[in-house]
Amino acid sequence: MSHCSISSLQMLGFLTARQSGLDDPLRMRRAESTRRVLSLTLDPDRDVDRIHGNGINTIDIEAVEGRYMLSGGADGVIVIYDLENYSGKLQYTCKAVCTVGRSSRHVHKFSVETVQWYPFDTGMFVSSSFDKTMKVWDTETLKPAEVFQFEGNVYSHHLSPIARKHSLVAVGTNNPKIQLCDLKSGSRIHVLQGHRAEVLSVRWSPRYEHILATASADSKVNVWDVRRASGSLFTLDQHNGEKSKASAEAVNTAHNGRVNGLCFTSDGLYLLTTGTDDRMRLWNSASGENTLVNYGKVCNESRKKLQFAVSRGCSPDFVFVPCGSSVAVYALHTGELVTMLRGHYNNVDCCEFHQDHQELYSGGKDSNILAWVPVLRTADVEDESNNDNKGAAGLSAVNPAFQDAWSSDED
Amino acid sequence: MDSSQRQQLSELVEDLTTSGQMQLNQDKMKKLKNICRVSNECIDHVYHSAMSQLNQDHAEIRLSAFQVISELFSRSHHFRTLLVENFQVFLELTVETDTEQPLPPPKEAAKKLRSQAIQTIQSWQASYGSAYKKLALGYHFLKQVKKVDFQDAEARTVAERRREEERSRKMETIYRARVQAAAAEMEESSQDIEAALTEMDSCMKLLFPDFSPSDFLSARSSSDSKPDPDCPSEGDEPCCSKDLQRSRRGGHVQEEEREKGDEENITRKEGRGMAGEEREDAEFKEHRDRRVKECEMESDEEEESVDEGSFIRNSGLVSYSYSLNVSLGPALRVEETDDNEPVVSTMMELHQLLTTKYLPAVNTWVQVFTKSHAEPQLLRRALDLKKSLEAAVNKHKELNIDHKSRIRKVMTAPLDDDEEEDDFEEVPEKEGYEPHIPEHLRAEYGLDPSPSTSAAPLSQHKPPAALLPSTSSSSSRRLKRLQEEEQDPTSAASTLRLLRQKFQSQPSSSSLLDSTAAPSGSDQKAAEVPVVPFGLDLYYWGQEQPNAGKIIKSTSQHQFWVPAEVEEEVENKDLLASSRSRYISFPGTFIPVDHFCRAPLGNGKLCQRQDRIKCPFHGRIVPRDSEGRPCREEDRRREEEERRKRRKRREQQPDWRDPELMRDIEAATGEDLGSDHVPGKKRKGKKKYPNLSDLKQSSNTLRSRLEKKIFNKSALRRVAQGSSGPEDTYALLSCESEPLMRPGLNPPELLFVSSCSEGPRHQVQMADQSFGGAAVCLRV
Repeated sequence: MSHCSISSLQMLGFLTARQSGLDDPLRMRRAESTRRVLSLTLDPDRDVDRIHGNGINTIDIEAVEGRYMLSGGADGVIVIYDLENYSGKLQYTCKAVCTVGRSSRHVHKFSVETVQWYPFDTGMFVSSSFDKTMKVWDTETLKPAEVFQFEGNVYSHHLSPIARKHSLVAVGTNNPKIQLCDLKSGSRIHVLQGHRAEVLSVRWSPRYEHILATASADSKVNVWDVRRASGSLFTLDQHNGEKSKASAEAVNTAHNGRVNGLCFTSDGLYLLTTGTDDRMRLWNSASGENTLVNYGKVCNESRKKLQFAVSRGCSPDFVFVPCGSSVAVYALHTGELVTMLRGHYNNVDCCEFHQDHQELYSGGKDSNILAWVPVLRTADVEDESNNDNKGAAGLSAVNPAFQDAWSSDED
Repeated sequence: MDSSQRQQLSELVEDLTTSGQMQLNQDKMKKLKNICRVSNECIDHVYHSAMSQLNQDHAEIRLSAFQVISELFSRSHHFRTLLVENFQVFLELTVETDTEQPLPPPKEAAKKLRSQAIQTIQSWQASYGSAYKKLALGYHFLKQVKKVDFQDAEARTVAERRREEERSRKMETIYRARVQAAAAEMEESSQDIEAALTEMDSCMKLLFPDFSPSDFLSARSSSDSKPDPDCPSEGDEPCCSKDLQRSRRGGHVQEEEREKGDEENITRKEGRGMAGEEREDAEFKEHRDRRVKECEMESDEEEESVDEGSFIRNSGLVSYSYSLNVSLGPALRVEETDDNEPVVSTMMELHQLLTTKYLPAVNTWVQVFTKSHAEPQLLRRALDLKKSLEAAVNKHKELNIDHKSRIRKVMTAPLDDDEEEDDFEEVPEKEGYEPHIPEHLRAEYGLDPSPSTSAAPLSQHKPPAALLPSTSSSSSRRLKRLQEEEQDPTSAASTLRLLRQKFQSQPSSSSLLDSTAAPSGSDQKAAEVPVVPFGLDLYYWGQEQPNAGKIIKSTSQHQFWVPAEVEEEVENKDLLASSRSRYISFPGTFIPVDHFCRAPLGNGKLCQRQDRIKCPFHGRIVPRDSEGRPCREEDRRREEEERRKRRKRREQQPDWRDPELMRDIEAATGEDLGSDHVPGKKRKGKKKYPNLSDLKQSSNTLRSRLEKKIFNKSALRRVAQGSSGPEDTYALLSCESEPLMRPGLNPPELLFVSSCSEGPRHQVQMADQSFGGAAVCLRV
């Protein structure tokens, strides 16, 4: 029996169980999502328009429809793609809907480091760049509605995905102080002090709207409550406060190098960090405790922010983290390396998980945005014995390139 | 797939990839494909072995592995999926996409691999690109990110191309600037050049009325007929007719001539230092010849005085038997005289200007124009200029201007002033007194050639008596009179004689200045006295030193407080000694080795090594005779002993027991002769893949071998510890030099060049004689 028939049988089992009310509907959904994530491969049919002339630093998929994707490149260009395939054909190129290109008056002068949709509406997005500005864009006109100027390069910014009571953008720059910009007033209203080196990554908790995590080159990760001005709630400590193990300098450090990646799990209970010590750590975001999950070596040579993603709605959740020229997929809680997604020809800088379709998008220095999609189920064939031949024949009918070509003179 | 198949596949892949050939062996490839088409497992296996071969650090292996892969890629879908899955690694290993992982040597194979890989990937993209997503991505990556131009035969990346373009553009701008500068310069100075050329031309015309060869002859004949003795080409006239005239004019000709010679000599003397002695010598000879001819002439004349008149009238020749040789060779010559002096000096200046300034400038213009492909008219113009300049210079050369030395001008100026002022009364010349006797006339005066004017050794001049066996009677008379005069202490001749004697007594000092400046005996001694730096010992030289060696401590000057009693005077022996003595460090000098080893070599020659004490090949250096045998008895005995020992050793291990030969025989016959038990050379590790080009070979050069020897730890330590004497270093070098021998060559001579020790630092320079120049310079 082939693999697909097993999974299809499973699917049928889930369906009947759900129909009869034996199972929670969530269970089937989780199982299917997990299966799909596990079968992620490079999409042979989907292309993403190549607009960027240089490496792609950041991508973001909007949460409202899950249809539009933003990308920011090292050339300062920002592009919005339409991910949805309404053409009815298998072969599909994700069109660039609109572009803030080099010819635009408002384009970022230098490399765009972070782009993010406004979480509640696609009419607005925010981008920040090494030209020391953060711009709030109107999607319709592609003009900045607001420009925030900073003293140093902006490495990262983040809007809270759930905030109802505030509209703060946390900004990490060259300066160790974290800036909080209020979109309502258009001004920088607050500064969080505590780091000693540039802040490479900032993330709002998806669970509590006032909780903010920041990662810095001083190898520390601070968790803040922005309502409390005096200081951070706590600093993540890789040794969980066991002083005997740690030398004096290593106290309260999250990594033994620059911390350049931050990501909350979708439920906000855990926080993942990556550092240039080639490690990834999973923390309890409520207590700041190191869960000591061992992911092994996670190659990380980036001097800038590393954007990585966690799956959502799978029964064991997965982490997708750029690792050299491939994307490593780990099981979140066991630390097991599930697979390596190889497709880029140069370092991968960012990846984003599409929550609804269990698809992964990754952008790298080779200026490609690759779509990783679950393998489609092949149609089940009644006659099991004929399966192989017909499958091959069917394939070759699709594309002659898949055919073997042994010439006759080799006999 | 069974294990035998697997084994066979591995062997096939290894054979194919280590052949070192640029093309694959088709038979083996066919075999491989035959096995591969059986199942996907075989393809898996081949894929993995090919990829591991592709990972080798040898471009030839990689090239062959790549060819195997490309053969299979077009055949099998399974192979394509496998390869495309790992395509970025494949690109790194073949197209050098990762700059930190360059393709391994050898270079040619790497280049070929790269260009082949790029072409193949392009063809793959054309046929499979749509089906294999990652292949298309890889192709786009090469095209857009690495900017590989697939049309470019060289398959260079855009960076290389840009560099190339940049360089050519830069060169172009440089060339353009140069052309512009040169053109401007030419524009500026072409007028000057032309002016100089015309000036030169007119100078030449002045010196030589017309300068075409045909006119030239007529010019010469016209000058011949001129009676004027000062005619510019007088110097190399065939002297017959003129001399004839002169002899007809009688004795006063000689007088005249002498006067003229005097004049010349005066000017020569004044321009001393510049005037070449050779010229004077030549003149001297010339005069001598002329004189001899005159004598002959006179005799001829007497014989054929009968029909002389008519014959001369008819033919212009003096006699029937008299043959006239006119040499037209390079003897065209212009002598500088007072008349043409300004012209000649202008000409000289012009010539100088042309050769040192204009000609090099024009040459550089021509170079610049040709190199940078400037407009043809510029080049033509420059070439024209060059041609005319060269023609002018050649003309000048042909003229053979016999100019006087230039310094004369400066010297003569005050003389002329004197003449103009005319302060002094003209006194009639004292008879027989010649303030300056010209070189060629000195013999007549019974004088040796003047030592003051001739720096050449005296022996070069032949004794005057032998030189002129048939002096005219008048001159012999004069000689006699001179000799008489010499007896008279008041006469000039006697003074001259005294002077001459004085010069001859100091044969080494040829110039007056030297003789007067010659140091007296005491001075010479003073020069040998060493000079030492001034010191305390010299300050107190020959004096008693009352306070020497005493350290005086002053008592406390404090009003109330008195320190514990101290000894106010302390005598220090060392100090005392130091004020009376002096250290002179005597480092010694390096004495180069001037003996050879001279031990007989196999090729019949003698060993030419110049070691100080011991030859690394022939042991202690002992005196040897011309055939290399030691002179001393005990040395000869010792050598005999050694030879015997060597022979013995050879007898113990005869030629046929040569391990290699035995091994060959064993291999041929299959019998064990016991080659393994023979002590001696170990079995050389056979090269694993003899067909591949050896990467290490390129590093096995003379330099690397020398470096290995010189920089090895023990050698460095020895140099660092050694007592820094040249002897030690030399010993080190000579003992290290043996393994550096190149087969088939004499042992390279390692010459110790310098070893200066400054504290712990040593600098050793070694020269490799057989290759010339310093081989290694080593600092420790």
